[in-house]
Amino acid sequence: MNVTLAAAGSASSPALSDAAMRRVFDSPVEDRLATALTTIAEAAPTRTAVARNAGTDKPTAIDYGTLAARLVDLEQQLDEARPIGVVARTDQVESLIVLTAACSRQHVPLAILADDAADSGHELDDWLSVDDTLSIPFTAAGSMPRGEFATVAPTIWVATSGTSGPPKIVDHSWESLLAAARLSSQWHSLTWLLVYDAKRWAGIQVWVQAMLTGGCVVVPASRDPDVVARAVVDRQVTVLPATPTLMRRLLTSADPAVLATCQLERITLGGEAVDGPLLDQIKKTFPNAGVSHVYATTELGEVFRVRDGLPGFPAHWLTKPLPGGARLFTRRDGELLVQLSRDTAEVATGDLVEQRGDRFEFVGRRSDVIVVGGAKVYPKRVEEVVRGVPGIAEARVHSVASPITGELVAVDVVVSPGFSPDDVRSGMLTHCRHELESHAVPRIVTFVEQIATTPAGKVPRR
Amino acid sequence: MPANLHDTIATAIRSVLSDTGRSADVIGAESLLSGDLGLDSLDLAQTIVLLERSLGVDPFRTRPADGSRPSLRTFGDLCSAYEVAAAPPDPHQP
Repeated sequence: MNVTLAAAGSASSPALSDAAMRRVFDSPVEDRLATALTTIAEAAPTRTAVARNAGTDKPTAIDYGTLAARLVDLEQQLDEARPIGVVARTDQVESLIVLTAACSRQHVPLAILADDAADSGHELDDWLSVDDTLSIPFTAAGSMPRGEFATVAPTIWVATSGTSGPPKIVDHSWESLLAAARLSSQWHSLTWLLVYDAKRWAGIQVWVQAMLTGGCVVVPASRDPDVVARAVVDRQVTVLPATPTLMRRLLTSADPAVLATCQLERITLGGEAVDGPLLDQIKKTFPNAGVSHVYATTELGEVFRVRDGLPGFPAHWLTKPLPGGARLFTRRDGELLVQLSRDTAEVATGDLVEQRGDRFEFVGRRSDVIVVGGAKVYPKRVEEVVRGVPGIAEARVHSVASPITGELVAVDVVVSPGFSPDDVRSGMLTHCRHELESHAVPRIVTFVEQIATTPAGKVPRR
Repeated sequence: MPANLHDTIATAIRSVLSDTGRSADVIGAESLLSGDLGLDSLDLAQTIVLLERSLGVDPFRTRPADGSRPSLRTFGDLCSAYEVAAAPPDPHQP
């Protein structure tokens, strides 16, 4: 074995040798996750791969050696049972990792469906369900003839986030999942926090990225801000991918003394548009962390990444192709269009942008626009203004139907600790009247304990 | 007109006005919603949503069977619309 451990790269896991990592990246894309588990297990069997239930007194750690052993066992079973497809019936990240590694290398289609996703088309009826025991009962039904087994089109089926409608099941190629990971050495052996649902595309990308690069996935016991903050500190998390909504909740609700001891190096925001005040707040709380935001859609995958700490993206990006070859355009109404390559059609994203100086900033989703007496209101803009009021921790803007004006702007507000609704209500309305046009000022104000988020960690709009 | 319905509607109007630092001394049946009370269409829309939440009805959501649109000039007009919407169905009407 020519794999050796290099000098310690971070507090928790020493960096892996270049030779080991090269062996992973040089393997065929569908073998890559399985190769990573095996290679890292050979080099460092006791290295922690998954830390579950983090942020509590009873965390559980699973090492690479354990994952690799379970992988060998599962691949053997898949080879014998030859299912036409596998449905993952487990919430455990470590089981999802082993299933994905085994199914991709064995060319078995895999469905990882979030709890609210339904297979309404019954496309998966003949697929084999596998739970977290990772054992496959031998059954003739649904088996593929041996000759076809290795040639079936390998795909991974995942449900969409369902922010603006019921979740749809979409199939992705293994390539789009496994080849998207960042493999350069700065990404090796990091500790990742998983606040995303492990069974949705955003969450799957996090654990795949971590496993391909010898990292550790830390799964907090819940999304409670104090549990999340403690998980970051206890497990020395270095990378935190999150939606702006989850990040905002962490910053406004977790114990500031705990947040001050976090050693985050990178924060990656995605899934929703980012605003300037949130970026400023992140810089103040985590001055040593690099912050980037990712623009991705279900159809297109990741389109671009903004690293300069400012909201939106530079206006000159519209004048030339992006590094990956994609081109950006805007429609007359401000909708962002993306053309991934010269030979593909432009895709309408549904996201509206507006030029402000030398930036294009996201103003909202086309489908989120509220029309009050014929005038458009962007909920995101109203939320930014409301959140700028002292004593307000969180806000969600939505519409209510009106027989007079069609729609009216409504806001749900969470007050900061130490404030009461009476303290903030009139100040908030005055501030809104000062900052917004009259039709955009919220007319229906509801004070709530908490703003519900979707399972994908976003604010529901309708 | 039931006094409590009248009061509920007047309270809703006062709360809409106070959101923008305005007030109304007297609200009577003849008070003009726009001219006397200063309610614009957004204010009126807000009042109707507030009343839907407290009374459970929105008389303007569906038009009556004869297709007429209730007149909405005075406070009295507004109250009548809610009285009609809140009244039990007339057993003598087919």
